Amino acid sequence: MAIKYLILLSRQGKVRLTKWYITLSQKEKQRIVREVAAMIPLRKPKMCNVIEHKDSKIIYRRYASLFFICSVDNDDNELITLDIIQRYVEIMDKSYGNVCELDIIFNFQTAYHVLDELIIDGVIQESSASEVLKKVAQQDQLESGESLQR
Amino acid sequence: MSSLKTFIKSVRNSKTIAAERAVIRKESAKIRTSFRDVHLDEERRKKNISKLMYLYILGEPTYFGQVECLKLLVSPKFSTKRLGYMATMLVLDENQEILTLLTNSLDNDMKNSNQFIAGLALCTLGNIASPELAQDLYPNVEKLLGSHNTYLKKKAAIVAAKLVEKNPDLSELFLPKVPALLNDKSHGVLLGVLHLIKSIHLNDESSHDRLITFVPRILAHLRLLTTTGYSPEYDVKGIPDPFLYVSLLRTLRMIMANVEESDNLEALNDLLTQVCSKLEGTKSAGFAVLYEAVQTIFVINSDSSLKILGVNILSKLLTQRDNNARYVALNTLLNVIEYEPLAVQRHKSTVVSCLQDWDISIRRRALELTFAIMTQQNIRVLTKELLTFLNNTDEELKPYITTQLSIACNKYSPNFKWHFETLISMMKVAGNYFSDDVLSNILALIMQHDDRALTTHLTIELIRASEKYYNEYGLVLVTIWCLGEYGDLVLGSTYEQKDSKKTKSIKESSLVDLLQVFSNISTFEKISQANQIKAYTLTTALKLSSKFKDRGAIESLRKIITKAMHDSHLEIQVRAIEYNEIFFQPASVKRGILEKMPPPPVKQREGVSLLSRSTTLKTKGSSSSSGGNDAGNSGNLLLDLLGEDIKKDASPEETKKHENTMDLLSDIFGSISVNQQQQPPAPAKLQKPASQNDKIIDLFGSSAASSSPSPSPALSIPKPLPKDNEIQAYSDSNINFVFVIKENSGNGFALLEARVQNNSASILSNLSVLCAVTKQQKLQLSSISNTTLSPGDSSTLNVKITGNPGSKLKIRVKMGYNKAGQPVNKQFDFNAGGKTL
Repeated sequence: MAIKYLILLSRQGKVRLTKWYITLSQKEKQRIVREVAAMIPLRKPKMCNVIEHKDSKIIYRRYASLFFICSVDNDDNELITLDIIQRYVEIMDKSYGNVCELDIIFNFQTAYHVLDELIIDGVIQESSASEVLKKVAQQDQLESGESLQR
Repeated sequence: MSSLKTFIKSVRNSKTIAAERAVIRKESAKIRTSFRDVHLDEERRKKNISKLMYLYILGEPTYFGQVECLKLLVSPKFSTKRLGYMATMLVLDENQEILTLLTNSLDNDMKNSNQFIAGLALCTLGNIASPELAQDLYPNVEKLLGSHNTYLKKKAAIVAAKLVEKNPDLSELFLPKVPALLNDKSHGVLLGVLHLIKSIHLNDESSHDRLITFVPRILAHLRLLTTTGYSPEYDVKGIPDPFLYVSLLRTLRMIMANVEESDNLEALNDLLTQVCSKLEGTKSAGFAVLYEAVQTIFVINSDSSLKILGVNILSKLLTQRDNNARYVALNTLLNVIEYEPLAVQRHKSTVVSCLQDWDISIRRRALELTFAIMTQQNIRVLTKELLTFLNNTDEELKPYITTQLSIACNKYSPNFKWHFETLISMMKVAGNYFSDDVLSNILALIMQHDDRALTTHLTIELIRASEKYYNEYGLVLVTIWCLGEYGDLVLGSTYEQKDSKKTKSIKESSLVDLLQVFSNISTFEKISQANQIKAYTLTTALKLSSKFKDRGAIESLRKIITKAMHDSHLEIQVRAIEYNEIFFQPASVKRGILEKMPPPPVKQREGVSLLSRSTTLKTKGSSSSSGGNDAGNSGNLLLDLLGEDIKKDASPEETKKHENTMDLLSDIFGSISVNQQQQPPAPAKLQKPASQNDKIIDLFGSSAASSSPSPSPALSIPKPLPKDNEIQAYSDSNINFVFVIKENSGNGFALLEARVQNNSASILSNLSVLCAVTKQQKLQLSSISNTTLSPGDSSTLNVKITGNPGSKLKIRVKMGYNKAGQPVNKQFDFNAGGKTL
């Protein structure tokens, strides 16, 4: 059950976040992002959230003005991937406090921190949302505590 | 130095793309200069790295900042480390040489008493580990696996899984840790250890037996989860921890895939029933778990009541309005169809209606499923639907549909007439998307049926269709061929033209006109297609010239051929010149050359699959094995192991055919024995009938030698006695396969000689040997000494393997040969008796 990559895309096709769990050259990454950005924003709202693309599946969901896009193997459970994306969005919402696209643009570090507490190597490491939030909050406190000490 | 926020704002506020690029370039250059500064203070470095991250998100190159990220890691401050690790994970990957510089930082930080710092290091290692890092840092991970800190344990488990993936030998190290981890109560740790189990299972085959001993523990967790009540922490819309559910089921599915009767299996069966019945009432929230459960049911050896339960759940999913549920159900039904074909047939109407669905993913699934449920009874109905679908679908799917449909027609068509009419309809719509071997098959099919009336009727149909659809390559090709072979049969018959409804009678001149139209078409996309058409036209013109009586028509045919004598394509020019020569031969001679072709055998093809699937989860006769397609499962199995290590032994089949044509061509300029059949440039599947060849040769009394390879002299070599450094790899009634270890001095290099001996009483030809080694090793094969073995004969090939000293010597061998005209394939693994490099 491994996610290959995670991309956050705006409605116009601008990249807001990328995380790669497989090793690819810079060129290949750019190519994939271009292909995905050409495909996903054109999907109509009621359509299936799974697209078969070359030899993997792309699973996406739209939240407000952002598309959350994952790629998985052909054998993986598509529905649970959607649940993982949902979890990520919920935790980010609580972390930022009513998150919107602008928050992610200016504070991408937090988005990455939450992602790294939720997923390692494409695999979900903690299924309890509150636990993930707690750890991220503790690390944030540690950081701010340090800067206060200076 | 502007802050990150200012930078982002200036990029976003750029009015034009050029302005944006200018801002980015300027900032990028500033960052680069500041990195060169030796006395850069930490605060500024942090700011620059943050901006570097923003550049990364924009897609700009960030390789110049790699070393700077690493510098951040040595700082004692947590915030610096946090930023440094985050940046490192993004900017570095396992292919970068700089990665080894990380080793020290990771080593120190994993031993740090602050759990968050250790956690950061673990996370980074888990995301970008390379085999070298795995080798250096596994002791740290091992230690953290044993710690009492749940936070670190769960991360360490996933990292361990990654390390096993990068270096499979580590699986023996981590396997003993699994039981302790399985006893943990925390869901995070459980998720981690399940992933570790999956990784060990995938990367180390010898562990399978030990992993089965863990199944009771896993089942206990599953039972607990099923019976547990509401827990706010893990709940997702009413289901307690679906992530853990899915992970447990997936792991069980993997381990128990091939297990026969046992207590574990019974317990699993019961649990699955429990899970399914508990979740059946739920709405969309439970679908993910149900889906996983159903997939598990069909992979393990479950009893039939469970299978029926599975199919029922799938039908429920299929009728949901939610697109995702339908998609998932259609996909799974494809797997299910092997076990419960009748149950799936019940849903035929739903599947067919899904073909018209407006969502492309659902259409694709429905398409694949339609082919799977085709039988003799429903083929007519389904074909009608498919032809409508073919009309409206996009280009990507057309070749798939044409291939599959022709295979299906071959298998299930009620009668030949219907079969052929379907083929014609297909060619009218998608003639440009037929693959060459499907077309050859169609031609072979026509020639197989001796019924003159039917053939006449077919040819007339073809002429009718191609008048209108002369743009469709497949249709035109088949029509030209049939004109050549059966042109004389249709002379004098009448047919109704498609558009004008006029009845037209077929005269020699009308056929010639048609040929001229075809030879002048240049609207085909590929040059190779246009050239093929021209080549076929020439041959047909020649054939018809001996059948026609009308001088005017024959003259026009000759003109077609002479015009092509100046064609820019070599093959066409050569043919035209040859045919011109033949044209002037006396009629009796011509008739002999241009007689009807005897039917070649029709190649049986297996189906192709639309989506390449892994074969690790299903071993019960993969239903979608390939014909000649790369999406085939068995092909993938071998290739997955090999990566780029596969070295194929050149089968001399192709070169043999070329030899044949070459000899005959050279004969043409000497005497006039001609190769009567069309050999399209693509590898010809139509076999040359040897008897026909002999007839021609007799006709001219020339010595056109048929260049069949002379069989190797029959030697009766007794089976060699195995010596010390000879290891028996495989033996059956036909073949004795032995590896002779020539050199194995333990410094990472081994030279082996593979010897194949023919044990049977018949000649084995077309011998080919493919070898594969594990990803960490490299393989070099020499060419095989002898591809045809008479009884007792043997042939050798040299195998050079290089790799890590001390790694095990394991080779997977796939052999192919022809015995009495039947191709045989054998695959086996060779373990070298535990020898190491």
